[in-house]
Amino acid sequence: MVVSDSYTSRVYTEVADDGDTLVIRVSGNFDFNMHREFQRAYRNVSPPPKAVIVDLSTTEHLDSAALGMLLLLRDYCVEVGRDGDEPRVELINANSHVSHILSVSNFDRIFSIR
Amino acid sequence: MPGFRVLIIESDAEEAGRLRDLIRACAYTSPSGCTVPAETWCVDSFAQARSMIGRVAPNLVLFGPASARVATAGELRQLRQQGGLAPIPILFVQDLKSACAGEVPKADCDDIVIKPYNPGLMEMKLASIRRFRDFNRSLITQRDRLRRHHADFLQEQANAREIFGNLGNESCLDDTDAIRYHLSPRAVLNGDLLAATYTPDGKLVLMLADFAGHGLAAAVGAVPLTSIFYSMMPRGFSFSRVLREMNRKLFDLLPRQMFCCLVMLELDPRRNHLRLLNAGMPSPCLVRADGAQELFVSRHLPLGVLADDQVDTAIVNYQVRAGDRLFLWSDGIHEARNLRGEHFGEERLLALLRKGAESGEAPSRELQDFDRILVAVNAHAAEQHDDLSLVELDLSKPSLTKGDCPAVDYSGVRRGGRIGEWSIEICLAQEELREADPLPHLLSVLVQMPGAVRFREDLAIALGELFRNAMEHGVLGLDSSIKNTDEGFVRYYDLLEERRQQLDGGWIRISLRCDDWGGGGELQLQVEDSGSGFPPCTRSGRGVYSGRGLAMLRTVCRNLEFSPGSSLVRAVIAWGDGQPTDGENGGAKTVQTPTVPV
Repeated sequence: MVVSDSYTSRVYTEVADDGDTLVIRVSGNFDFNMHREFQRAYRNVSPPPKAVIVDLSTTEHLDSAALGMLLLLRDYCVEVGRDGDEPRVELINANSHVSHILSVSNFDRIFSIR
Repeated sequence: MPGFRVLIIESDAEEAGRLRDLIRACAYTSPSGCTVPAETWCVDSFAQARSMIGRVAPNLVLFGPASARVATAGELRQLRQQGGLAPIPILFVQDLKSACAGEVPKADCDDIVIKPYNPGLMEMKLASIRRFRDFNRSLITQRDRLRRHHADFLQEQANAREIFGNLGNESCLDDTDAIRYHLSPRAVLNGDLLAATYTPDGKLVLMLADFAGHGLAAAVGAVPLTSIFYSMMPRGFSFSRVLREMNRKLFDLLPRQMFCCLVMLELDPRRNHLRLLNAGMPSPCLVRADGAQELFVSRHLPLGVLADDQVDTAIVNYQVRAGDRLFLWSDGIHEARNLRGEHFGEERLLALLRKGAESGEAPSRELQDFDRILVAVNAHAAEQHDDLSLVELDLSKPSLTKGDCPAVDYSGVRRGGRIGEWSIEICLAQEELREADPLPHLLSVLVQMPGAVRFREDLAIALGELFRNAMEHGVLGLDSSIKNTDEGFVRYYDLLEERRQQLDGGWIRISLRCDDWGGGGELQLQVEDSGSGFPPCTRSGRGVYSGRGLAMLRTVCRNLEFSPGSSLVRAVIAWGDGQPTDGENGGAKTVQTPTVPV
């Protein structure tokens, strides 16, 4: 599967108003080049958030490496859940192209997608 | 710290001596902290210098005032060429009082030292040249190291590719003209994987897989995938059992962020039955003889994501008709991008296939569609971003029937060997039936018998048919007539899966008995189930044992018996002369019960 060339892409994070929700927004191409930034976005957040929302509203394309990164995020949350509440992971605001990729991969079975 | 060597070219001996002293007086401390004085050599002409350069390998050539005046651009060029990759800086001395200063080919030397000499300035120049020398040297060392690593890396990939290539040796892809395929890896190794083989009862199984990522990691994942495929499928393990095994293995092996998208299909060319699982791949497209298209969308997560996964519910069943063709592709085709970054996409592909269906006769179309897709994708893509795979399968071509394919080679088996006298009985209860896959075990026992290859396929077909009938009609109580329509066909298999999952009772008993009288023999198969038995005889041939299943049994069995009201079926496979030489022995074993001829 493609590990695509770098386009201008960025990872933005913010903690939502309630203070317990970490929102990660990935802009542009969500691909292998993002993996460091994406991991940094949720690791070392202390205390761990109660929920991680991946906001895909500005994601134009997503490849298999990105799907892999989402699996790593999911695993990380399971790991965190061992010592307390497991953070819930949600994927939101995917455009039609990105939701198509998510549904082809049947990721809706393991993630909550809104 | 290697020394710093300076070659002085000067025809005036006194001048040369002065330059040498000047250079020796310059202190230089290397980055590693040690101070090594420069070594100097003096020659009085360019011709002498040339013969010295190979021996001395100077780090700097200094033309004294007299030599600089007569140096030509050609000479300097020669000097540089001798230096090879590590360029030799060339310094000219220019005497400010000299009248001919203007004649110096300034553009060809690297720097000028002004006479009268300024020791401080000279020291600075030499130190800077040394620094550049050291820098250049470390660059070359790094380059060499990278070159070595890269060569090693390519070699490793080439080795891996060879192993990878050998994995495909068992495939039957090239044995039939009903399969066309194109695989073009982006890197040395392919992240896409295509494999095909036959099950013992003659079904074609084909798998197109795409690992997340490419190169070495993807190829490494391909090894267990292929070996499971080629070891389990020809032994007769069921489609879903093999898929579950693959998923389990990949989940154990792959790093968390890696997984494998895959389409696997099983085509029974005798029953025209297609089963297909799509786990995260682009939808394969079925093109009917009349041009209608049907897409098999992904109904399953990629393999290797979840530890334990039920694949059965995601397998689709399909009745194949004459002229049906199936196109499979990897996302390399979807995602082929042109210069504007637009993907080739599914829509363009389907449009191409539609256009193919509208134009021309079927025989010419077959070749065209496949080639046209490749041409269009290549024309679209600015450069290849990903592994690119395309497969076309002509579902109704007679050459898909195993018949001519070389049988799996069980080396050391003599075709004429004795099969022996023996019997086996197996009884499967509800727990086993939910996951039932008794055929591979039985078959693996049977092929151990010398000479058993002769009826291996017949046995697999007969046993498969009898077992399926006992399971579907006997234990699960399904009525074959549901399959009479297209929708019913699919409904039937959904029902089958549903009832099997919920099974909480029932059993199937299989017994085999072999009689070998040398030069010939018989294998008697008996399958009995817990069901209510066959309905009162339906001589029309319709009913529980309707259609293709019965016809297939008849092609491989000499004798077939079952009685209404009973759930016991007896079938006989014979080989060789067909008549026992010892009448008493042979006759005793073919017990004739009152039966209904079928």
